[in-house]
Amino acid sequence: MSELLLLTPELLVLFGALLALFADKITGHPRAAAHIAAPLSVVAALVAALIGTRGGIFAGMLALDNVSVFARVAIALLLAFWLHWVSGRGTGGERSAEAVALAMLSAVGGMLMASARDLIVLFISLELSTMPAYVLMGYRRGDARGLEGALKYFLLSMLTSLIMLYGLSFAYGISGSTAYADLGAVDAGTLGQLAIAFVLVGLFAKLSAAPFHYWTPDAYAGAPASSVAYVSTVPKIAGVVALVQLVAAFAGNGGTITVVLLVGSLLSMLVGNLAAYPQTDLRRLMAYSGVAHSGYILLAAAAGSAGGTAAVFYAVAYAVPSMAIMLLGSEEGTALDDLAGLAARRPAIAWASVVWLLSLIGIPPMVGFFGKLTMFTAALDHGLVWIVAVAVTMSVVSAGYYFKVLRSVFFGERLDARRATRSTPAVIAYAALTVVTLALGVLASPVLEFFGLRF
Amino acid sequence: MTVGLPHVLTLAALLFGIGLYGALSRKNAVHVMMSLELMANAVNLNLVGFSRFVTPEAMTGQFFAVFSMVVSAAEIGLGLALVIAIYRRKRSVELDAVQELKG
Repeated sequence: MSELLLLTPELLVLFGALLALFADKITGHPRAAAHIAAPLSVVAALVAALIGTRGGIFAGMLALDNVSVFARVAIALLLAFWLHWVSGRGTGGERSAEAVALAMLSAVGGMLMASARDLIVLFISLELSTMPAYVLMGYRRGDARGLEGALKYFLLSMLTSLIMLYGLSFAYGISGSTAYADLGAVDAGTLGQLAIAFVLVGLFAKLSAAPFHYWTPDAYAGAPASSVAYVSTVPKIAGVVALVQLVAAFAGNGGTITVVLLVGSLLSMLVGNLAAYPQTDLRRLMAYSGVAHSGYILLAAAAGSAGGTAAVFYAVAYAVPSMAIMLLGSEEGTALDDLAGLAARRPAIAWASVVWLLSLIGIPPMVGFFGKLTMFTAALDHGLVWIVAVAVTMSVVSAGYYFKVLRSVFFGERLDARRATRSTPAVIAYAALTVVTLALGVLASPVLEFFGLRF
Repeated sequence: MTVGLPHVLTLAALLFGIGLYGALSRKNAVHVMMSLELMANAVNLNLVGFSRFVTPEAMTGQFFAVFSMVVSAAEIGLGLALVIAIYRRKRSVELDAVQELKG
């Protein structure tokens, strides 16, 4: 029983998901699900922070180390912000109760994935965090483009998870066990290295890292922006934690893993940043930006345990502003021209968007700067000088397309001055995301100290 | 001739290869999903084979296979729901017919 209590955050979110399905029937309010679920997720985050670290739950199948606790809290909080936004804005004409339930189920999968220490648990929680995402991506049933994007996402995602599962089956066969602790034996023969490469294929696709990124722009461009805000951020945090912990578990000789990670990192940084330039749709632009950020994260994941912790921190640092921008896109319209004149219409939101975008570029004092600093320092300490040089160059290059968004916000002329209706919960969600973007940057050291993270 | 671990692994690898080829080359969404199922079955065969020959005393691999079956069944169910939704709009499940989005 006491071990089950350690899973209280997951159970709370799971309970919220089941409640959400019936909430609007019980209360009669159309968006009751999100109204109930958002505070529940905040409670889950608090409980997760209170529980702190614990080793070996359920005979070692789960463990809560510093990184897992940080990821659990981050996932629950981001879920809460998203739900709070949904409670004000809904999900674009469709019923929101199912979207709320699906997002919460996906968060349960993500939270379990962050603490998984066994391949079976990893696989199931990975699927639990991805499967609701297919539905969220195709949430508008009448919209053929959205369904097409969702189908592409589904087919590629299932293909890569089966390749990953094939790799996991060999990892199990070679080590004779599914526990992470025994995986060090895998990286021995050719078969073992092949198995590791297969596993990484699955994780690369989850992080939409190149060369498995090509579903991302299409799927995002067809999906409702509010779904993209969730799918492109929360499952990614869990994916990064799983990647970092698997890399640490596999690191016997380390040869294959480092090479595969660095190749993926280099490709993602180049493809993501360069392909983002010509985009005129915010969702496509953010999709390529996500590919680029996965590139930085893979670079850090290749840089030992310090780099791994930095990668997880940066996954959160990327997710917070990125979610805020997609939510704004869902309100204002996703073409860059839709944002034109935002500074005149909603000055506060316009200045908040400056904070988000500067954080994604990596300008102090926002969290993005601190995240990139720790990642690149870890990589330099690991001797990866030339690829860090590429990463820094690409960060500078990325400023170009983020400033394109800001130019539209501040200097764009818009003829039809459509005003979005006021929505207090949405504004609170933006405020919270902005505060976190700033606070994680300015108060990074107390936060890291609280979670016991070291780089 | 007794059937050993190499036989099982070879059969699984063949099945996996056929499935992968089908998934990448087929143009019909339902065919692609059948190919994906073939890959899932190859993985299950692998898991059960390893369970029988590597760790016969523990049943880890068999449990893994059972979970993997459940997950892939759920996943295919979801995928077919998507295909049906697309069929209602387009009257076709050919992947070439749903090519409005261009990366």
